[in-house]
Amino acid sequence: MLGFKLEMPRREESLQGKTRPIYLDMQATTPVDPRVLDAMLPYMTDQYGNPHSRTHAYGWEAEKAVEDARKHIADLIGADPKDIVFTSGATESNNMALKGVAHFHKERKRHIITTQTEHKCVLDSCRKLQEEGFDVTYLPVQHNGVIRLDELEAAIRPDTAIVSIMAVNNETGVIQPIKEIGDIVRQHRGVYFHTDAAQAAGKIPIDVNEMNVDLMSLSGHKLYGPKGIGACYVRRRPRVRLEPIINGGGQERGLRSGTLATPLVVGMGEAARICKQEMTRDHTWIKHLSDMLVTKINARVEHVVRNGDPNGYPGCVNLSFAYVEGESLLMALKDVALSSGSACTSASLEPSYVLRALGAAEDMAHSSLRFGMGRFTTEAEIDFVVEKIVSVVQRLRDMSPLWEMVQEGIDISTIDWAQH
Amino acid sequence: MATPPTREAFLHLYSSTLRASRAFSSYNFRNYFLRRTRNVFREVQGETNPAKLSAFYNKQVEELAVLKRSAIVNQLYGGWRLVVEKDPPPTKLLERADS
Repeated sequence: MLGFKLEMPRREESLQGKTRPIYLDMQATTPVDPRVLDAMLPYMTDQYGNPHSRTHAYGWEAEKAVEDARKHIADLIGADPKDIVFTSGATESNNMALKGVAHFHKERKRHIITTQTEHKCVLDSCRKLQEEGFDVTYLPVQHNGVIRLDELEAAIRPDTAIVSIMAVNNETGVIQPIKEIGDIVRQHRGVYFHTDAAQAAGKIPIDVNEMNVDLMSLSGHKLYGPKGIGACYVRRRPRVRLEPIINGGGQERGLRSGTLATPLVVGMGEAARICKQEMTRDHTWIKHLSDMLVTKINARVEHVVRNGDPNGYPGCVNLSFAYVEGESLLMALKDVALSSGSACTSASLEPSYVLRALGAAEDMAHSSLRFGMGRFTTEAEIDFVVEKIVSVVQRLRDMSPLWEMVQEGIDISTIDWAQH
Repeated sequence: MATPPTREAFLHLYSSTLRASRAFSSYNFRNYFLRRTRNVFREVQGETNPAKLSAFYNKQVEELAVLKRSAIVNQLYGGWRLVVEKDPPPTKLLERADS
């Protein structure tokens, strides 16, 4: 059939027993579902037309694929397909929503409300807008990571342009009460509600009409789709006016010009369709794995604190191990791909600002691990990780002088550490 | 409405889907598709409505085609084992029956 003998690849060092680590970092990115890849490949091989070409079959079939993908994504969040704008990722969607709305309404509206636990792209956009002269209120969160609705209500002013609160936090898995926040914002005419649903879409049920959301950011690679694609839901009734940040030929309702990457768009659409189909099954499985992980670790290791709401999204478990240093814990767990905090803050040595906003002590924030479980994680992987964590934490604690002092009953907080 | 597919047809489809799922070279995908196939076919066991049975059968036939192609692509680019896998690494080249 092929004309040549097909060899299965022999990857380098696989015969010597080189193994790959277990992946437990689903909040950083998710593997591309094989069914999504299968939907994308035709548009990377034979059907390579530009969806904006109006005059030939290559363009028409690409356009049809893009519109089908738009429908799938709209169905996932309960929106109309015409409301979806494709972007290059949730970061671009967040920038577009915040800066676009702020700049369009800059004559009369000068205030923005967000929280202290938002994603870096939202916080950085707000900082940039602050430099341009806008006022930004960063709402504090309670110890479990949820904002207080009365504080939000009090913070809304007559010149508030937009309220931006993420649905599911990427570091702690806390689910914010989006429906209640939407109800509060709806009572104030002229204030838009934006939510960064990158971690939430496809995992918990979201409906933009039920939750009164005006703008929503979605990310392809958090939904088991490809990287480099995202979407922004921009409500048309009542119309949300925003200034585009990328100008050009007027594609995507003029809000985001540029040729759409058909394979990526098709991939994200297929990923959204599969997520909608599998949502309950995936949620039951992930809850099962998460409960298994937390109970097994708590049964064998003491002084473990769970950061964030225990009723948050079960696929994101953020645990702090007292008297153990986070980086050394990560380095000792070399067969497990884990993260301590979010990928975008892992380059710096500072503890995560999200954990600091939750009120975690400095040393606990340093020794936190984020376990991200997904559709493809297995029970055997969780068992392996639990065994590893238990042995590594025990070994590191045995080496720690602070642990010795705690075992003897000394209260660490009463010690006066003298410099010398 | 035409008669729904026979029990033998369902069983044949089930075993074909399991065989395609077992063909994945990636540990995570292989286990996921095996578990999913078992759950999906178990859910339809008590179903008696012929229209629903036919619709389910046709949908699973389409999904089987997708799964076969995905297994081929996964095999082409696979090769490394995960730490958790108990299978030994490949010691010789595999031969396809139709090459």
